[in-house]
Amino acid sequence: MTRFVRKHESVLLLVLVLECAIFGVAGTNFLTTPNAFEITRLSVEIGLIALALTPVIITGGIDLSVGSMMGLTAVVLGGLWRDGQMSMAVAVGVTLLLGLAGGSLNGLLVTRLGLPPLIVTLGTFSLFRGIAEGLTRGIENYSGFPSQFLFLGQGYVGGIIPAQLFILVIAIIGFAWLLHRTAFGRSLYAIGYSSEGARFAGIPVRRHVFLVYLLSGLAASVSAIIYVAHLGQAKSDAGSGFELMAITAVVLGGTSIFGGRGTIAGTVLGLFALVVLQNGLRLAGQPAELTGILTGALLLGTIVLNRFSTASKKQAVVYGDTEEIEVKNSQVAVLSAVIIIAALIVAASNWMLVRSVNRNSSPAQTNGAAPPVPANRIQVAMMPKAKGDPYFISCRQGAEEAARELGIDLLWDGPTDLDPAKQNEVVEAWITKGVDVIAVSVENQAGISTVLRKARDKGIKVITWDADAEENARDFLINQATPQGIGNTLTDEAARILNGEGEFAIVTASLSAANQNEWIKHIKARLAEKYPKMKLVAIQPSEGDRDRAFSETQTLLKVYPQAKLIMAIAAPAVPGAAEAVKQAGRTDVRVIGLSLPNMNKPYVKAGIVESVVLWNTVDLGYLTVYAADALTGGRLKRGDNELTAGRLGKIEIAGDEVLLGAPFIFNKQNIDRFNF
Amino acid sequence: MSLKRYKREASALAAYLILLLGMAVIAPAFFNPGNLRDLAMNNAAVLLVAIGMTLVILTGEIDISVGSQFAVCTVVAGWFAKAGVPIMIVPLLVIVTGSLLGAVGGGLVGRLRMPSIVVTLALMVAWRDGLRWITEGAWVQNLPPDFQWFGFGQAAGQVVIIAVTLIVLLAAAWALQNLNAGRAVYAVGSDAEAARLAGMEKRNVVFAVFTFMGALVGLAAALNAARFSIVPSNAGMGLELKAIAAVVVGGTAITGGRGSLIGTVIGVALLGTIGTALTFAGINPFWEKSIQGAIILVALMSEVVIRVMRVPLALQEQ
Repeated sequence: MTRFVRKHESVLLLVLVLECAIFGVAGTNFLTTPNAFEITRLSVEIGLIALALTPVIITGGIDLSVGSMMGLTAVVLGGLWRDGQMSMAVAVGVTLLLGLAGGSLNGLLVTRLGLPPLIVTLGTFSLFRGIAEGLTRGIENYSGFPSQFLFLGQGYVGGIIPAQLFILVIAIIGFAWLLHRTAFGRSLYAIGYSSEGARFAGIPVRRHVFLVYLLSGLAASVSAIIYVAHLGQAKSDAGSGFELMAITAVVLGGTSIFGGRGTIAGTVLGLFALVVLQNGLRLAGQPAELTGILTGALLLGTIVLNRFSTASKKQAVVYGDTEEIEVKNSQVAVLSAVIIIAALIVAASNWMLVRSVNRNSSPAQTNGAAPPVPANRIQVAMMPKAKGDPYFISCRQGAEEAARELGIDLLWDGPTDLDPAKQNEVVEAWITKGVDVIAVSVENQAGISTVLRKARDKGIKVITWDADAEENARDFLINQATPQGIGNTLTDEAARILNGEGEFAIVTASLSAANQNEWIKHIKARLAEKYPKMKLVAIQPSEGDRDRAFSETQTLLKVYPQAKLIMAIAAPAVPGAAEAVKQAGRTDVRVIGLSLPNMNKPYVKAGIVESVVLWNTVDLGYLTVYAADALTGGRLKRGDNELTAGRLGKIEIAGDEVLLGAPFIFNKQNIDRFNF
Repeated sequence: MSLKRYKREASALAAYLILLLGMAVIAPAFFNPGNLRDLAMNNAAVLLVAIGMTLVILTGEIDISVGSQFAVCTVVAGWFAKAGVPIMIVPLLVIVTGSLLGAVGGGLVGRLRMPSIVVTLALMVAWRDGLRWITEGAWVQNLPPDFQWFGFGQAAGQVVIIAVTLIVLLAAAWALQNLNAGRAVYAVGSDAEAARLAGMEKRNVVFAVFTFMGALVGLAAALNAARFSIVPSNAGMGLELKAIAAVVVGGTAITGGRGSLIGTVIGVALLGTIGTALTFAGINPFWEKSIQGAIILVALMSEVVIRVMRVPLALQEQ
């Protein structure tokens, strides 16, 4: 078995070296010392959780609640510090205790009640996140932490080594010692291999398993503290999805999901194989979606390998007659893995080919015979809040259009779902890559500003669009509308339809969505100020899911029959709400909201959706790229009053904000003129 | 078939009845027929997926890629309809798509004996990100007018969806109890080695169950997509957790071999009703997730209470 373990780790090491070699060639500035440290910085939070999950999985258990535990401990940390007026040190202490408490809840349920860990932690996965959301009402976003605390997540020791790296190194050494050098560690393997056997060997199984879950809770809270210091904010959505990333790293590292086998070294290698893949793809300018696909393939490949090297021998002992088939199976496995990988390589190279052809042909189309000079082309990196969102896809249309007109290289990448931590990672990668302009639609102001300032220090021009960072973190903001402008326009539109009196309900995105909560704040303020006879009766979440918005609206219509208006303030929620109104046959109810014209056209034409409030998102992307170009060419600087932006003509500038214009109201009369 | 066998289902049923009783006192409007119909419609897809998940969990495996499969199948339904495939053929093609997706997981888990949680974790990420890559998040729009409700109109379309769901449920429940294939699901879940000696290979059963699960996901996606006139690209987020939670709350043992579809129906009903019930009761939606988590844990504990009443504690140490 030890031979296998070494073999598995050397294979992982090979994968890692291979990744480094590929990305060293394909990625810009991949093989540099600062990038190496940046990679380690980004792996600390996931790494701590993966380290703690390794012993859990070795005992044959699992802990799905770690990500939610991070959310809970993060908001408690923020709450104690800001609202509880505690000093940071005390708040951190209490947070760690909370992590221990959460871990021991899992541990008790698993060991004392003998419940399956998968289900227990699935329950606490909901429970912890739910409490975090309940405590903060989803809205609270604690920020403005003292700089000594932020140093833990953002600072550099000796100017180059990320501060939190020390914690990760200590944790690695600690866990490696615990697992591989102590009797306790050995006992975990015995438990995982056969808990019955371990019990007969005199190992206090329950107590040891309990301790493992306790450690996992503690690691989650440490990870949450670093996460908060890293992003400079504490919100209830901290750590969403971290459990899956961490489990992936552990399993990739060769720990058997059935327990009894695995090493810390493997986990660390698995972790780095993952984060290097992510970072490398980013520096090579590949889309984020590819990361998921390759991670899946890597994971499957690893397990196939795992089977290949262990299954035949182990099974042969049990039933000799199946040995032959077993070997055949492994051959099939290797074959299919090879096919998957080959297919992926073909797909990726095709994609790159198409992309490079596009890049080379596009200036030729626009500038006639002018030969492309790739080396001198300006590189603009533009980031949406979430790539899959139709809103941002339409922004991209405009951005690509402008990039073609100007002969600019446009790099479009970002998180696939709303994820403030991912945004920071992408910006870091772009700094390393050395682009000319970074344009970000900011999800989390406090967190990203530090990174953006760093980019400016390196001479990269920084623009924010759609949503702003802190003022000194960017050169210009491309401002499409203020939250207040949106709130007011929506409220005025509602008042117009309701004649200034009556009840209405809101269907929002998720309860912790920052933008939406900001708009709701201004909607409430506007109501109090101008429309005292209008009443907001309920705010329900849709989680950005059309079907959820549909069922929430159905319920709202029944519980509040007097409400004559549904205001849906997330792009997929408006068609969902409209469909619910349509199916309920409630012709007396109107829907308004913030969404894209295309997905609402049928409902607007049918008169169910009275109006959709938005700005021209295509123009927003277009203007952003034009501003980026002007900024690098020195044609846009502070103090200017206007900017000429291609087909948009002259655009007004106020101070350091480029103004797209007032929010636009799409209705029956004009909606056919727009296609996005 | 004594009632004693359904003790674990009984605790979920009790919780559900308490919830309904509470609603009868706080908000009787909850029981108006329109609301019950909407609840049934909104949970039909979850129920279909949960039926498949019950079978998967009965064999002692798990499939967390169903949400991503659902998203792929939903988009595929839109593509087929838009390409001009007759609307009655679309669901069949989507079911085939689902079966293929399920078979990939089933092949890796069953034939290659890879751990299902890891395989389906990898597939969950791969399907979802692959779909994102291809669609770039765009919704499928401008579908033929008969896409919604299969052209039957709203009232008849709703009846069709509910009827199909019920037929699948009854057929699966009957087959699970009475057919050899159904008994084999229990057999391999409770003791794979014994089942093998009795002529039932776990890997074949697992492969079949995962493929069937995929087919059900395809059916669920087709039926759900037909309730609307546009197809979103991000459907089925979190569906896997909903289905697994419903199955477990319904008393199916996560270790396999024990459980029933009746329990799963109760589990889907219980978890699918809470959100709506909270809104009717005027409780802030911020607490919904915590309440769901608490219900899962309480359902688990009730199982322990039952066990403790029968078995001396000392024997429970693993």
